[in-house]
Amino acid sequence: MSDDRRTSDGNDMSGGSRTTWHVPQEDLLAYTQGELTPPRLWSADTHLAACARCRETLAALSDPVALDAGWERLDAELDAPRPGPVEWLLVRLGVADHTARLLTAAPALRRSWLGAIVALLVMTVAAANAVRAGAMPTLFLALAPLLPLAGVAVSYGPALDPTYEMAVVSPLHGFRLLMIRTVAVLTVGLGVNGLATLALPSYGLRALAWLLPALALTATGLALTSRLGPVLAPSLVGGGWIALLTVARATTESDATLAPFTAAGQGVSGAVAVLAAGLLYLARDRFDVSHLPLTDFTDRNAA
Amino acid sequence: MIPTVSASGLTLRFGGTRALDDVSVRLAEGVTGLLGPNGAGKTTLLRVLATAVPADRGSFTVLGHDPGTTAGRLDVRRALGYLPQTPGFHQDFSAFEFVDYVAILKELTDRTARHREVRRVLEAVDLSDVRGKRIKRLSGGMRQRVALAAALVGDPGFLVLDEPTVGLDPEQRMRFRELIAQAGEGRTVLLSTHQTEDVAMLCHRVIVMAGGRIRFEGTPAELTDRAAGRVWSSTERDPAARAGWRTGTGAFRNVGDPPEGADLLEPTLEDGYLLTLDGETAEVAA
Repeated sequence: MSDDRRTSDGNDMSGGSRTTWHVPQEDLLAYTQGELTPPRLWSADTHLAACARCRETLAALSDPVALDAGWERLDAELDAPRPGPVEWLLVRLGVADHTARLLTAAPALRRSWLGAIVALLVMTVAAANAVRAGAMPTLFLALAPLLPLAGVAVSYGPALDPTYEMAVVSPLHGFRLLMIRTVAVLTVGLGVNGLATLALPSYGLRALAWLLPALALTATGLALTSRLGPVLAPSLVGGGWIALLTVARATTESDATLAPFTAAGQGVSGAVAVLAAGLLYLARDRFDVSHLPLTDFTDRNAA
Repeated sequence: MIPTVSASGLTLRFGGTRALDDVSVRLAEGVTGLLGPNGAGKTTLLRVLATAVPADRGSFTVLGHDPGTTAGRLDVRRALGYLPQTPGFHQDFSAFEFVDYVAILKELTDRTARHREVRRVLEAVDLSDVRGKRIKRLSGGMRQRVALAAALVGDPGFLVLDEPTVGLDPEQRMRFRELIAQAGEGRTVLLSTHQTEDVAMLCHRVIVMAGGRIRFEGTPAELTDRAAGRVWSSTERDPAARAGWRTGTGAFRNVGDPPEGADLLEPTLEDGYLLTLDGETAEVAA
């Protein structure tokens, strides 16, 4: 430690303790005024937590209000939750810390969920590359739109959000929470799908034909959630997508492109996405009350 | 009594059942107990007053705000602390992180002020020492206190607690009662419970519900008074009694309409509650 980190009079103020260094008076003064900057601030924080003499000096130097604020900041830093990797990354990317915390509670941003998606996509892409049949990677295109739909579905609603009932009665509007999580889950889901698409270079842009159906399915699933609830709505939409592809397969020659992945089909997907997004916005207030059925509670009472 | 929460004509049906049937109540500052058997409609009433579900008919105000409008509902939610019947947790969060999460939902976005508030409520429920522990590692009683801390965050004026003492051992229940009593100072608390002792020890007022309707509203002493002169002791179970059970002394405690010259006993809140339910059930069945 250099000499300028000693007390201004150069004396050891520890009064017999093992501490040989103390925070210089000018640093304590800057500390009381909230003007001490890192790394000196960190050094002062750490030292003050352990040194009674410096705390006394600090108390003498500062007005009580500023001193309380300093202690509070120190306490807060010691208590503050340590963010996980996703939350840390979000904050680094400029997301406000409170929004990042809301997001990390979404199941679809957890490692287990992301791991399952990545494993599924890797297998599908490997299969598409190994068995190259027809002009399109059909299995991949059929599966990819379902992943964001499922991701959004599991990030909202009583079945998978354990704090659902508390969140519904909070001042934060249910629709806003839904949108915050949807945007995050969609970003991650579409990003992972996009990376998988890059692993299918031989198909060129045709391998991106999942994108508009993915948006259409997610928006439709959410719009129907306002009426049918968070389990039935995405299940119906996912089932409808599989049924549509099955019918298209049955009515299309084996090496021809399925209708949803043709230019016309893509146009329809885009239109459905926009329409569903509009309906979702109109139904936004329906997300502000609980979708837990009343029967849940009477059954529980009766049990 | 100066009402802080007033509800009038609340009705809510599902299927063919009236979960709430023309319910009108008034709550004041302090702890009000909500007693009733299973399926009485207690949780439904709490969920309506907490703005989780809207009633089919009727209206209510909380601290002067009308949740019937979007702006009013927001104001009610800003003044609300809610502990649901089975509070859910993100198990991987620590106690601090969970309460912090709920504080964010309650619009406390300034990090420093929010963390100060989280520390305050964890201190209030005596969990400061375990604030860094994962929720999955906490005991049932501690989790329930975490949920209470989450309800208390932001210093709400109206606290709705749905059977918070269920599943707690006697010592934890006593501790929890102390916390609820403290929480009732200066705010309106509505406490749903099966336990008449909770009401006897904690509550300024008591509401009894059965079959989706209000059966009694008054002070615990008034509920107890309903059984005055209607509780007696006998060596055998008295067939005239509406309810009777053998006590620790071996004698029967009978509740109902006593015979001439019966050995009358001092009534308790539980006796008053039993008679209130019994009379009303008979009336409904008739």
